[in-house]
Amino acid sequence: MASKEATVYVLDLGRSMGQKQNGRSKTNLDWAMEYVWDKITTTVATGRKTALMGVVGARTDETDLDGIVDDDAEGYSNTRVFSNLKQFLLPDIRHLQEHLKPSSTDEGDLLSALAIAIEMINKGTCGKNGNPLKFDRRIIIVTDGQGYMDSTDLDQIAAKLKADKFELVLLGVDFDDPESGFKEEDKDPHKEENETVLKEFIDNCDGIFGTLAEAISQMDIPRLKETRPVPSYRGELTLGAPTIYDATMTIDVERYPCTMIAKPPTASAFAVRTDLGSAPGASAESSATVAGEGPPADGQLSAVRNQRVYQVDKPDEPGVKMNVEMEDLEKGYEYGRTAVHISESEFNVVKLETTAAFELIGFIRADKFDRYLAMSRANHVVAQKGNDKAQLALSALTHALFEADCYAIARLVAKDNKAPVVVLLVPRLEGEVENLIEVELPFEEDMRRYKFPPLDKKLTITGKVITEHKDLPNDNLMAAMSDYVDAMDLSTLGEDGEEYMKPEDTYSPLLHRINHVIRWRATNNIYTTLPDPPQILTKYSAPPAELLKSTERELDALKAAADVKKVPPKQKGRGKRSLKDREKPLSGLDVDELLGNPKRVKIDSGNLIPSFKQALASTDDLDAIQAAADEMGNSIRTYISSSVGESGYGRALEALRVMRDEITELEEPEIYNSFVRALKSEILEGKLKGDRREMWWRIRGSKYGLVDRKRSFASEVTEEEAAEFYKG
Amino acid sequence: MADYTQNNRPGEEEDEEEEEIDDSSYKTIKDAVLFAIDVSATMLERPPFSDDKKADRDSPTSAALKCAYQLMQQRIISNPNDMMGILLFGTEKTDLKDGDNSFQHCYLLSDLDVPSAQDVKQLRDLVENEEDAAELLKPADKPANISTVLFCANQIFTTKAPNFSSRRLFLVTDNDYPVKVKQDKDTAVTRARDLYDLGCTIDLFPISRTDSGFDRSKFYNDLVYPTSSSDPDAPITSASVTKIAKSGDGITLLKQLLSSINSKAAPRRALFSLPFEIGPGLRIGIKGFIMIKRQEHAKSCYVWVGGEKAQIVSSTTSHMSDDSARVVEKTELRKAYKFGGDTITFTPEEFIQIRQCFGEPILRIVGFKPMSSLPIWHNTGKATFIYPSESDFVGSTRVFSALQQTLIKTKKMAVAWFIARRNAAPVIAAIIPGEEKYDENGEQTMPPGLWIVPLPFADDLRQSPEQVSNLKATEELTDIMRKVVEQLQLPKGVYEPSKYPNPDLQWFYRILQAMALEEEVPEKADDKTVPKYKQIDKRASALLEEFGVEFEKEHQSQSRGKPKASIPVRKRGAAAAVVDDDDDAFVKPNAKRVKKEVKTEDDDGDTGMTDQDMAAISDRGQISKQSVAILKEFLKGRGKNTAGKKIDLIERVQSYLDSKGL
Repeated sequence: MASKEATVYVLDLGRSMGQKQNGRSKTNLDWAMEYVWDKITTTVATGRKTALMGVVGARTDETDLDGIVDDDAEGYSNTRVFSNLKQFLLPDIRHLQEHLKPSSTDEGDLLSALAIAIEMINKGTCGKNGNPLKFDRRIIIVTDGQGYMDSTDLDQIAAKLKADKFELVLLGVDFDDPESGFKEEDKDPHKEENETVLKEFIDNCDGIFGTLAEAISQMDIPRLKETRPVPSYRGELTLGAPTIYDATMTIDVERYPCTMIAKPPTASAFAVRTDLGSAPGASAESSATVAGEGPPADGQLSAVRNQRVYQVDKPDEPGVKMNVEMEDLEKGYEYGRTAVHISESEFNVVKLETTAAFELIGFIRADKFDRYLAMSRANHVVAQKGNDKAQLALSALTHALFEADCYAIARLVAKDNKAPVVVLLVPRLEGEVENLIEVELPFEEDMRRYKFPPLDKKLTITGKVITEHKDLPNDNLMAAMSDYVDAMDLSTLGEDGEEYMKPEDTYSPLLHRINHVIRWRATNNIYTTLPDPPQILTKYSAPPAELLKSTERELDALKAAADVKKVPPKQKGRGKRSLKDREKPLSGLDVDELLGNPKRVKIDSGNLIPSFKQALASTDDLDAIQAAADEMGNSIRTYISSSVGESGYGRALEALRVMRDEITELEEPEIYNSFVRALKSEILEGKLKGDRREMWWRIRGSKYGLVDRKRSFASEVTEEEAAEFYKG
Repeated sequence: MADYTQNNRPGEEEDEEEEEIDDSSYKTIKDAVLFAIDVSATMLERPPFSDDKKADRDSPTSAALKCAYQLMQQRIISNPNDMMGILLFGTEKTDLKDGDNSFQHCYLLSDLDVPSAQDVKQLRDLVENEEDAAELLKPADKPANISTVLFCANQIFTTKAPNFSSRRLFLVTDNDYPVKVKQDKDTAVTRARDLYDLGCTIDLFPISRTDSGFDRSKFYNDLVYPTSSSDPDAPITSASVTKIAKSGDGITLLKQLLSSINSKAAPRRALFSLPFEIGPGLRIGIKGFIMIKRQEHAKSCYVWVGGEKAQIVSSTTSHMSDDSARVVEKTELRKAYKFGGDTITFTPEEFIQIRQCFGEPILRIVGFKPMSSLPIWHNTGKATFIYPSESDFVGSTRVFSALQQTLIKTKKMAVAWFIARRNAAPVIAAIIPGEEKYDENGEQTMPPGLWIVPLPFADDLRQSPEQVSNLKATEELTDIMRKVVEQLQLPKGVYEPSKYPNPDLQWFYRILQAMALEEEVPEKADDKTVPKYKQIDKRASALLEEFGVEFEKEHQSQSRGKPKASIPVRKRGAAAAVVDDDDDAFVKPNAKRVKKEVKTEDDDGDTGMTDQDMAAISDRGQISKQSVAILKEFLKGRGKNTAGKKIDLIERVQSYLDSKGL
């Protein structure tokens, strides 16, 4: 758990901060605030109650010390406390945004504000008896170094800050930075003097003295959240059964996460408040968060609760639902379609009784292990903390596995009555680190035994092996691929000849993107367009440019050898227009010829879909197509109107789908569109024997509505129109 | 909580993040399998009696029924929403359970539906009770007309499983020419074409007659199609060329059939269809498949017990505004992030922009690295199998094949940028080759292709907890342990998932089945993951004893702070080591072994207390003077509960000491 922290921002708000300098389009303050807001919102986003912040302004128009020192104390004029130490929430940010403006004065002293900040932390972080509590104390100063400073007590202050372990950070607007080589031209001698004084002071308290430009450029590098390791298993790792046999091995181990996917924050659903008038947050302030004509501002959303309605089929009327009450419900499971109810007291019978255990099953050869079998995140397995024997024993096992080039297979029950899993244990010996890494392996039921044809040869139906085929690479392609793979090697492309794109160097794009825009929106509620994701998040979305440049030749050779052609979108469809192109059985028999290539196939309602497909396949005549579609349409209507409850809806839907696909394939979308328009109104107007709205829901849910231009170029229906069709 | 939601409004329940572009996903992704089993005199013929225990005892029909029985049980576990039915043909009896007798000699044993407990029971009775079975399995005088069977299947699929994306007819027969005249064959061919147009696949499971074999080309090659009309991109697999099962081939007919049927138990469903960018300007088409996925057992649901028969309850959810208790339509809902005690909202367009700013779904190679750059400690989850598809790019298969073969040969992997779907979070992944594997019968056990292994980001990596102890294994210790490792190799030195059924899952369904059929609940679970203790003892006990002796010696020497020169012993800062002399900590070469001498001589500034220290304190009556922190530390170091008041902690420490005889 992170420790408590108290951070005070000392912001120089003097008149000079309102200037725009060095070709920047923003005022010095706005520019500096980019950094400050980023820091503040990052802290707010953690939601930690123990991360306290405060803000003190220097060289402000007003003087307000918030009782931190006596109001009439001398030397504190033009210093203003904007916020005393507390956990910041969104309204605090809003409040600061409104009030942090460059002043119209040059009066005031940055160091007075610093003194207030120190006092603020001292007061805010002590216990009841005035004893200092355990806190990380930090002061961040942002200034352009233009104001007047009374530096008489600086050495004393520095000594105290150092003694109290304050962390001091000072960021200057256009301060000289020997490291990055920045030097401001024609620097005001007064500023130069201030810079020197401040630099010495910060150095005296072991603080960080930097320039704002540097700080802002570092802002894009995502911050990693530190997590305290929590063991997920503590107990023995055993070989053999100590309770039955004499010679066994038992090692006390602990298991900690090694990888754990960091999830981006999730948005929750809220309802738009209805009682806008009484909403407390509906002030000018919060409506400023509205982006364009978007959703209403914060504070106008109310939480949403889910309400469930439970239904069963009526016992004597299949297809008709009725609502049932909670008290008539018991817990249970489905076994196929049979409901098995289990009373609360018996609920444990389906659970396999287990006791926590970590037992070695046996060992396997590392080189024979299929890497893709590892199916979970990884864990560290280490010796019990401080247990020398366990440490020594685990070390022996780890080294033995490593030297034998083997992995261990073990059965793990992390807690009593948890389901056992089979895990793989891999030795890891890296420098000082010596432990086992554990991942879960699949059970029999977890493997889906799909089969795929070989990639290096072709088998014919008769079982003959073919080695030359358009689906098989020729020598030329193999050579080009091999060259390309060699050329695009990343293993020495990183900094200092290290591996490029190591996991340690990559940041979760979505996680940081969402955090980024949330923080951005919290302080930028007036802009309508979102910022692009920081470049660092997309850095690894494509090969490095320099590498591409140097491998052009190999890539061109590969492209030529590959000879890949994009399939034009029109030919992609599955249906074939002419009889000749229709799919043939294994033997290659022409079934239509067998049937004498009929010119007209009658739609048979008892064999609706096949006969419809065959009817369309046998003709090019628009009238015949229309006729087939009409008959199909009538069958669909019949399915719906004769349906008992929902019994006929599935068939109607299938017919709709087939009709939609086939007609679209024939590039006559209007035939389907006019039908489905008519069907919609018939359903909604109750013309198909009763309330058939459920059927419309299903059509909508399955998206069997109008065929739009995107789907078929022959359609006159726009995408908007098609979307509109589903409404109502 | 019941999580049983209605699936008939996919558009409503659809999670935006899971939005698929593929058209086929609009259909209900469900599978329906209809077993059609031939019941004829030859199909009922039993193999000649043999003393060999492994010899065949089943007639082809009964082997097929046993397969169906096993498949049904298996599918209840693996595909609880999928349908299955069993149709016998050629029987004397005619019954389609709907009063319609137009399909002569077709007997619908269990209707096409999600199996019920009754279906399972009925099938089991038939398989286990030969007398009852004989009653039903009586062949008709003249065999069933195959086109009748096909049309019957057509009707069953149309009415019982409408709009299913996968409908399959499993045809088990030994008759390679089930018609008399050509005209009958033509009718059958037409009926097969109807099934094809309907989107149903015929999977033929041929059984060879002892005398004549089974020749597909005589009849069935005109009926079976190489691809399915509902999945035109499915590569031609052995679907069409399922091995011909034959009695008396060493392995039983039942086993051969089971193996063929198991390989088709689950219909193949592509997870995604994506462009795969090998390099700028070079894209091919791929499809992704989930080949490995933890099979969980069903979640509990609500059952309505208000009627005569228990019924599964379906539930629908409506949203209610918290402030006014008003029912809210979905269009009124807004998504917002919690931030600083308040909410931060974005417009729906902005939400799309936020998630989709990383580009279109793609698998794009960034470069290549040796396989050694993919240590197991970078694993974050399961791998996804990919296989080429020609539907978007002609030539995809050969390029894919060239890449796969090159990676195998050079022991390299590709590193790629991967967005699986629109709205999916971008991932960086390793692409590793998978080699094709076969079993001893030449059946494919692992398909050839590539695997996408997701890699962690810096955000996902966790540090190993600091090791405070500094003892390191010596060569002697390592050597002995190495022999243990070599002695206890699993068969062929590999982990074979098929040997380890999930004990929890199996137990769950065994109990559930017993309860559903109102039978006795079994007492003990069969857990194949439990190590073979006896074998371990037999093979490794001597080595382990040797190890124990060496270990004691080494431990004494190292913990005295006089390690051998060859062992690097580090001291770590001020980290406190809790010294534990718990006897259980390690090897027990001999159960009768007396307690070892206690080591308190660790000299690296331990602050943790040993049992002896604590016992001494306790004896002096000073235990209550110890701070809560010390007590907790002591308990924690021994894996004991550290919750509660001080008095509880003291009690726990004392009972611990008692248990140690101190």
